[in-house]
Amino acid sequence: MYKTTMLTKDLVAASSKPLVLSILADGESYGYEIIQKVRELSGGQIEWSDGMLYPVLHRLERDGLIESEWKEAESGRERKYYFISSDGRKAIKTERQHWLAIHNTLCKLWKTKPVSI
Amino acid sequence: MENQTRFDLNAAIEKWRQELTAYANLTAEVRRELETHLRDSIAGFQQRGLNNEESFWLARRRVGQPQQLGEEFVKADPAKVWRERVFWICLAVFLLGFLENIISSLTQALMPVRGGSFLDGLMLSEILSVLRILIPLIIIVLLGLGKMVWQLSKLKLFIESRLRLAITAFVLIAISATFDVVVSTMHNAKINYLASAIPIDHKYLVPIWSTLVEPTCYRLIILLLLVWFLPPQNQKLSVQIK
Repeated sequence: MYKTTMLTKDLVAASSKPLVLSILADGESYGYEIIQKVRELSGGQIEWSDGMLYPVLHRLERDGLIESEWKEAESGRERKYYFISSDGRKAIKTERQHWLAIHNTLCKLWKTKPVSI
Repeated sequence: MENQTRFDLNAAIEKWRQELTAYANLTAEVRRELETHLRDSIAGFQQRGLNNEESFWLARRRVGQPQQLGEEFVKADPAKVWRERVFWICLAVFLLGFLENIISSLTQALMPVRGGSFLDGLMLSEILSVLRILIPLIIIVLLGLGKMVWQLSKLKLFIESRLRLAITAFVLIAISATFDVVVSTMHNAKINYLASAIPIDHKYLVPIWSTLVEPTCYRLIILLLLVWFLPPQNQKLSVQIK
């Protein structure tokens, strides 16, 4: 078993935008579920401090990339659901270009094979 | 096992929620959102076999330090935080203005010019003047001490929707306006009564419209601000999460 280290604060801040937008592109979701998904997809390598996700969500909402609505779940519990806007979908494309550019450059430097997506 | 029966999960969550209210940067909507998160998180830990107390403390730790969170929220959307503050300030100004108007109207109305002992009237008006300062002061101190939460939750009824808020505020404005008219009418009646006995300048007569229009316009402006700045989470407060 390798030991996972927490991402630095800067890296978390930078990567949260494409991660959240891409998760919401698959369908609406709420804070807790988003965090669970990120944890699951990264195999536990990306661990967010739970509360810190909400300022990120609110910032994305202010920028018009996502929207939100309070909804009642079947269990009777209310949650604030977030969903992506058309601007958000456009933003994913740009984010994708940027992150793949960084990824590919690092791969060349480290002489590992870029993961083609 | 013994611990589990002694630990009251709902009380713990309630206490945590109260702690959050101490941080002005965490708006009511944010607190509500964090609470739903905490509850989801607790449920997640419980499913993994942890008891109520362990689940609560782990979930609480995961959510993070309220102070730090508050700072992040302000950075994320400063205008939103301020909008909510402005709403509560406007609401306080509006309600205190209403209270002030009612008490000062009573003070004036109860100052007898004819009949009754003038001294009695004076005493009464002084008691009312003291009340005018004391009542808001007591309310503010109680709120500051975190009391009156129950009363505040009743207030929620009136700010559930923009329409309900507007109607409630409008009724209060109408009551204030009625008081204004009644008081200035009574005042003018007194002046007229005095004028019949001694020569008195008519400048002491109060034009009813001027006492009515100006404060009413001012109150209507606050009403508009209130409706405009009503935080969105209050508009959809249909079900309380339990």
